[in-house]
Amino acid sequence: MSGLDKFSEKVTRRVARATSRRSLLTLIGGALTGAAVIPVLPVSRAQAQGHGHGGGDPIAPQPTGNPQDPGDQTQCDYWRYCAIDGFLCSCCGGTASSCPPGTEMSPITWIGTCQNPADNRAYIISYNDCCGKSSCGRCLCNRNERDRPMVRPQANNDINWCLGTESAIYNCSTAVILGVALDQQ
Amino acid sequence: MQSILRGAAFAALMWSVGAAGAAGYPQPLPEEPVPTVTELPERYPASWVVVHDLHFNSLPDGRAALVDVGADNHHLRGQIPVAQFGNILPSTTRGEIYVGETFYSRLTRGERTDVITIWDTKTLAPKGEIVLPGGKRGLFVTLRNSLQLTNDEKWALVFNFTPGSSVTVVDLDGRKILSDIDLPGCSLVYPTGPRGFTSLCADGTMTSMTLDAAGKPGAAVTSEAFNDIDDDPLFMTPAMVGRTGWFVSFKGNLRAIDFSGAAAKDLGSFAIPAQAGGDPEWRPGGWQVISADRAGLLYVLMNPKGGEGSHKDGGTEAWVIDPKAKTVVRRIALKNHSISIEATQQETPLLVASRPDGSLDVYDAATGAFVRTVASVAHDPMTMTAAR
Repeated sequence: MSGLDKFSEKVTRRVARATSRRSLLTLIGGALTGAAVIPVLPVSRAQAQGHGHGGGDPIAPQPTGNPQDPGDQTQCDYWRYCAIDGFLCSCCGGTASSCPPGTEMSPITWIGTCQNPADNRAYIISYNDCCGKSSCGRCLCNRNERDRPMVRPQANNDINWCLGTESAIYNCSTAVILGVALDQQ
Repeated sequence: MQSILRGAAFAALMWSVGAAGAAGYPQPLPEEPVPTVTELPERYPASWVVVHDLHFNSLPDGRAALVDVGADNHHLRGQIPVAQFGNILPSTTRGEIYVGETFYSRLTRGERTDVITIWDTKTLAPKGEIVLPGGKRGLFVTLRNSLQLTNDEKWALVFNFTPGSSVTVVDLDGRKILSDIDLPGCSLVYPTGPRGFTSLCADGTMTSMTLDAAGKPGAAVTSEAFNDIDDDPLFMTPAMVGRTGWFVSFKGNLRAIDFSGAAAKDLGSFAIPAQAGGDPEWRPGGWQVISADRAGLLYVLMNPKGGEGSHKDGGTEAWVIDPKAKTVVRRIALKNHSISIEATQQETPLLVASRPDGSLDVYDAATGAFVRTVASVAHDPMTMTAAR
């Protein structure tokens, strides 16, 4: 558990840094870093298949219905997914902010800062993994900007972040709004 | 029942058709014994490669394929389960293959058990297992240096991640745990000296530890910082030339680390000479992006669309680099976009490139000529380890 504590502290400090006005300005609209599981091969598949669908016929769009939260939650280019990696829970029985039924949300996460194109605010997004059922297999989404190798785990998205959960089996990833990072003028 | 009758009628019909041609074949085919199960040679030929299939769409059911990339057919020679972000490590001397893996008693739930499973190279049957305590084996997209051997292959080193880092030292003969060593801020294991290991650390340094006869660590020796993780980090998997590990960085710098002594030694770096055709620039890309042949030539998988975030995108060429002359000897244009590469350790080496669709393309490493495709050996062929 001491490792966990150390890690939480690191994450907290990193979030604190990220939420400082100065660093956020440089990060708006971009990924702070990756989260969750991302295997490289599915990256290539996702690229080949056009942003995150599992191949074959497209998955039916899932707009939020809220004009202030625009976009299709089954698509990798949905604004909250700017630093997500893994299967999108919206395609797996959950939503962008909730895990599929019967899974457990990982308490250890990675954080991104994404800009909402509708209200032009930057939001802190937490990419909690959902754990305890096997790989969802739908809507793989994968971005590697600012990803760093395993030598720096807190910036590495190849790691299974189903840590501290009852089961370490990875199912999918969410993108939960933690709050407004910075209001735009 | 009806279908059985139909089947019997069909067989009788076929028999009568066959009887007409029996004159040309006076002897029938011999009877074949049942059951029959194929065995493998105890020591695999140098044209064989272990291909690790992460199986991302069903991670608890990962596996590895033994593939003869030098043969005309019968390419897939056998399979070994490698469960849940597992690692596979063939011994070069013991006739065994080690798999670090993780199980739950009810597949996705229940009690977690981490083990090293010991597989017999000849029968591909499990010979035994060593339970790894603590449920802490590191789970991430497979990297060869999360499970390694030291002490003349008598001990295994397992990298743990909880997210605290540690290494478990395992006695393979005694089938027991020797020690657990905390590794704050450092990752993975690179066997070092006769009995010990090095880890790469988040501050850009590396830390080496020798192990005593009981597997307990001596004092840690930490190097100067050499890994520019912010701007140009090293990929974690080196190509080994003897005890020298050649690492390549995101931007195409090669660095040699000498792991032969008690403490790893940085031997310096050089940039891969710039080549035409990049848009915007050539960079290494993929998962296992560097390999070496027996002559010490390096092979690096290169992506012409290099930039921030491109490091896992795979590549379209393999560049053959002579690290002594610091030159690009040859550029091998790959037939297909590829993710990982591995050179066989044959006198005349083959270069194997794994594709996102799970097939392998095989090239003559000396000429770059395409030799064959071995189709559909894995779902997600992440890492490859040539027989040696």
